Amino acid sequence: MFSMTRRNFLRSSAAGATIGLGPGLKAFAQNEVLKVGVVHQGPIAENGWEAFHARAWRSLESKSGGKVKVTVLDNVQQAQDAERVFRQLAAQGHQLIMGTTFSQYATLRKLAPTLPKTKFECCAGIGTLDNLGVFEARSYEGTYLTGIAAGKMTKSNVLGWVGAFPVPQVIYGLNAFMLGARSVNPNAVCKLIWANAWSDPAKEKDAINALVSQGADVLSGSPNTPVQGLAAEEKGVWSIGSSGDFSAFVKNRQLTSFELDWTSAYAEAAQGVIDGKWKAESKWRGLGPGGFVRMTTQNAALPAEVRALMAEKEKAILEGKFHPFTGEIKDQSGKVRVAAGATMPDAELRSIDWLVEGIQGQLPRT
Amino acid sequence: MKLKLERRVAPSQIMQYLSPLLAVGLTALTGLCMFIAMGKDPATAFYVFAVQPIENLYGVGELLIKASPLILIGLGLAVGFRANVWNIGAEGQLTVGVIFSGVVALHYGPQGGSWVLPAMVVAGAFGGMLWSAIPAFLRTRFNANEILTSLMLTYVAQLWLSYLIYGPWRDPNGFNFPQSEPLAPSALFPILIEGTRLNASVLITLAAVVFTWFILKRSFVGYQLQVVGLSEPAARYAGFNGRRAVWIAMLAGGVASGIAGVGEIAGPLGQLFPTASPGYGFAAIIVAFLGRLQPIGIVLGGLLISLLYLSGEAAQMTLNLPSAITGLFQGVLLFFLLGADILITYRIRVIPGTVKLKKVTA
Amino acid sequence: MDTLSAIVIATLVAGTPLVYAGLGELVTEKSGMLNLGVEGMMLFGAVTAFAVTHATHNLWLGVLFAAFAGAVLAAIFALLTLTLKANQVASGLALAIFGAGASAFLGKPYVGVALAREPSELAAWVSGIPLIGSTLVLLHPLIYLSWAAFGGVFWFLYRTRAGLVLRAVGESPASAHSIGYPVNTVRLYAVLFGGAMAGIAGAYLAVVYTSLWVEGMTAGRGWIALALVVFATWRPERVLLGAYLFGGMTTVQLFAQGAGIPVPPEMMSALPYLATIVVLVLISRNPTLVQLNAPASLGKLFHGEA
Repeated sequence: MFSMTRRNFLRSSAAGATIGLGPGLKAFAQNEVLKVGVVHQGPIAENGWEAFHARAWRSLESKSGGKVKVTVLDNVQQAQDAERVFRQLAAQGHQLIMGTTFSQYATLRKLAPTLPKTKFECCAGIGTLDNLGVFEARSYEGTYLTGIAAGKMTKSNVLGWVGAFPVPQVIYGLNAFMLGARSVNPNAVCKLIWANAWSDPAKEKDAINALVSQGADVLSGSPNTPVQGLAAEEKGVWSIGSSGDFSAFVKNRQLTSFELDWTSAYAEAAQGVIDGKWKAESKWRGLGPGGFVRMTTQNAALPAEVRALMAEKEKAILEGKFHPFTGEIKDQSGKVRVAAGATMPDAELRSIDWLVEGIQGQLPRT
Repeated sequence: MKLKLERRVAPSQIMQYLSPLLAVGLTALTGLCMFIAMGKDPATAFYVFAVQPIENLYGVGELLIKASPLILIGLGLAVGFRANVWNIGAEGQLTVGVIFSGVVALHYGPQGGSWVLPAMVVAGAFGGMLWSAIPAFLRTRFNANEILTSLMLTYVAQLWLSYLIYGPWRDPNGFNFPQSEPLAPSALFPILIEGTRLNASVLITLAAVVFTWFILKRSFVGYQLQVVGLSEPAARYAGFNGRRAVWIAMLAGGVASGIAGVGEIAGPLGQLFPTASPGYGFAAIIVAFLGRLQPIGIVLGGLLISLLYLSGEAAQMTLNLPSAITGLFQGVLLFFLLGADILITYRIRVIPGTVKLKKVTA
Repeated sequence: MDTLSAIVIATLVAGTPLVYAGLGELVTEKSGMLNLGVEGMMLFGAVTAFAVTHATHNLWLGVLFAAFAGAVLAAIFALLTLTLKANQVASGLALAIFGAGASAFLGKPYVGVALAREPSELAAWVSGIPLIGSTLVLLHPLIYLSWAAFGGVFWFLYRTRAGLVLRAVGESPASAHSIGYPVNTVRLYAVLFGGAMAGIAGAYLAVVYTSLWVEGMTAGRGWIALALVVFATWRPERVLLGAYLFGGMTTVQLFAQGAGIPVPPEMMSALPYLATIVVLVLISRNPTLVQLNAPASLGKLFHGEA
């Protein structure tokens, strides 16, 4: 039990002063269980976006020694329904509620001020509120490194990217992929296809086949299922597990992969609420301990010098010495967007709406 | 001995009311069997499905705002179905209603003014009406089947909205997420009950219920529609204009769907997203049938389907049941409903087997 | 392989589920039954095929069970509409909703799991055929079977007595009934066939083409198949061509994107639906044309005595 010594009092009130302690923000008692609510937009699967969140809250629950109990809903596809579900979770005593996708952010932003006693966190969003934090992955760090591998291993100098929808996380990931490839292979280009569907594996496969027949020999994208990797393998070309390791199914031809790892996001949020120290933050983390991006596999066929290059860049990123979006960066029309030596500021990066030079494809017009 | 379906002399009045109840009962029974098979306690399951979603004021409000578009569209569709005009494209008409009212909301909302919301409703009604006018025109002018044309247009409408939200209507301050800017307060329906999401669009639905009841039961137009639906030759003989019936039928559905769309964006959504509704346009068809194409029945049907949506969520939260259960139950309910309807026009007769005569020997 | 061959193959692949589902729905509609539940039957077939193939590692067994599953769902439709005289539009929609829900429910353990790709002995044998082997092997047997199915349906409808009976039932069930043809039985078989074909279409997507199960993975192809039958004015050869036309639209859109040609994807995706409306209008304005091909009793209730 929290014992009220003078030191503790000063410490806790200092903490309280910095957070702006609202009602209900007290540390948990010994036997108190934290109820966490998680809402998935799509069905929970073996791999893909929802699977990463599922791994994180499963790990949270199992490692908590009974102190955390998670309630999960999946397939809540529409915003109107999401609002009701979030509110009901709050009403049923869930003190921490996690949103798992950017399309829930608008709802949470509307809802959070009306439920001051509950803490909310959303995976991707614009700005925080007193009781709403956001967390997002610097997936561009992962895609940059995979881009290095792609740039080195491509024989045709044509890479390919199949995206579902042109949302910001995918765009900066794609741009970093191209930058990484061009850093080792200035002649590389990347063809881009938007599938315009979240769950249509046949169309994704069609897209892969189209890119391969147009010369692409390393494929990446934002796959939620193994279909892209399998399609690439069928055609005998490389695929990259971009935000997902599919090597269990793509046995031979997955070049390298990285995964999103939300474990720290969930663990820190939960621990913060339990300790009474939760604070609304905007966490945008990439590689490294407590980060949200983890490089996972590397194909046996990846040459040692490429691995060394990737490791070197990874180290530089971890040490803060290198940022993938360091100039000079030109967009598709040749205009210089980031001056030589400068680094793109976070705010600009988060809402990027243009593609870097070398990418052959379009974004929807505003 | 076997069972035979025998046509009744006249449709049974009792069964008209009983068959939806029978269908609901059979669905509940199926559900109970499923729960037992999945190892859930039936009593708890029943509570979670039927009671938990509405056990507080917020839940009741949610029930009503989800039932409201279902009822509104159901009413519009029922007008058409009675006249044998099959408007399957309500979802598309809802979407176009969203697009048209979205134009008003995004352009004029920020300026404010009490005229914005009514203008949105008018725009949405117009949009839905326009989208349903296309199948009406194609049917009356070219005899093209309205089931298929209205269905095809649904997909076109959804692609149109998607194009707008991913493109020109994207919120400039929205980090390029595919969503419009949040609607200004003047473009939102006022909340009726504090602490719920129940908004004034429910009043429109209420008015629609009364209006439809009046039209169908008391007005000559309603009578005409019914005759056209029952027998086109008879209608022609009586001088009722079949074409006008098609137009009225389709436009009713379009207007209703369009207004329902406004109710969503100016209500619980407060913003435009690439999809506007969780399939209300299709669910309303079920509601119309569940309610036997009668206004009161449609109200009850809408409340029931709405409850089913909410139950699915409660089941996930409390019972750990999978999310696919809602679609499953909706389908099963409709199956039983369509099946039970036969008892209105037919009755089951038991035909005794033939009696075997024994030969009598002297 | 050059781009043109790639486009041709991709078009054939994209069109194949539409060929199966379209031919099946064609037969169903030719008998006068309008089954809107194609999407539900395809999904149910897809999940069944996946589950069975996952368990037995036998692709053909999966396809077989998928056909059966599609037929089971179609049987529900037949029960409702033929025996219980329910409205066909509502029954078809109920089937679509139920099929989607049931497949999502049953497919839960399989989401994101990929089937192991086993090298096919048949493919190895075929590629050994001199001259044409290497080309033949590019297409999966189910594609060739779809062409055989087309041939079978065409021959059945227009060269056999049974097909004539079926068409007669679709044109005027009352006349057919008075001649003594078993109207409801014929329609039952037509509906079951439609279901089985839709099931195979779903199986093709889940087990042959992508080796994956994802909820709702047919992504509207069932509705396109419905459009296709109308677009084809209820002629099997036009179903075949139309399937490849629609499939080609998607394919070309993807290739265009890859080539950097700015094609608004929503426009391309809308084309099949718009094209169907145009065709529907064109054929409907000419009553003779309509009578020639569209089954006159489509969707209407038949009151026969049992």
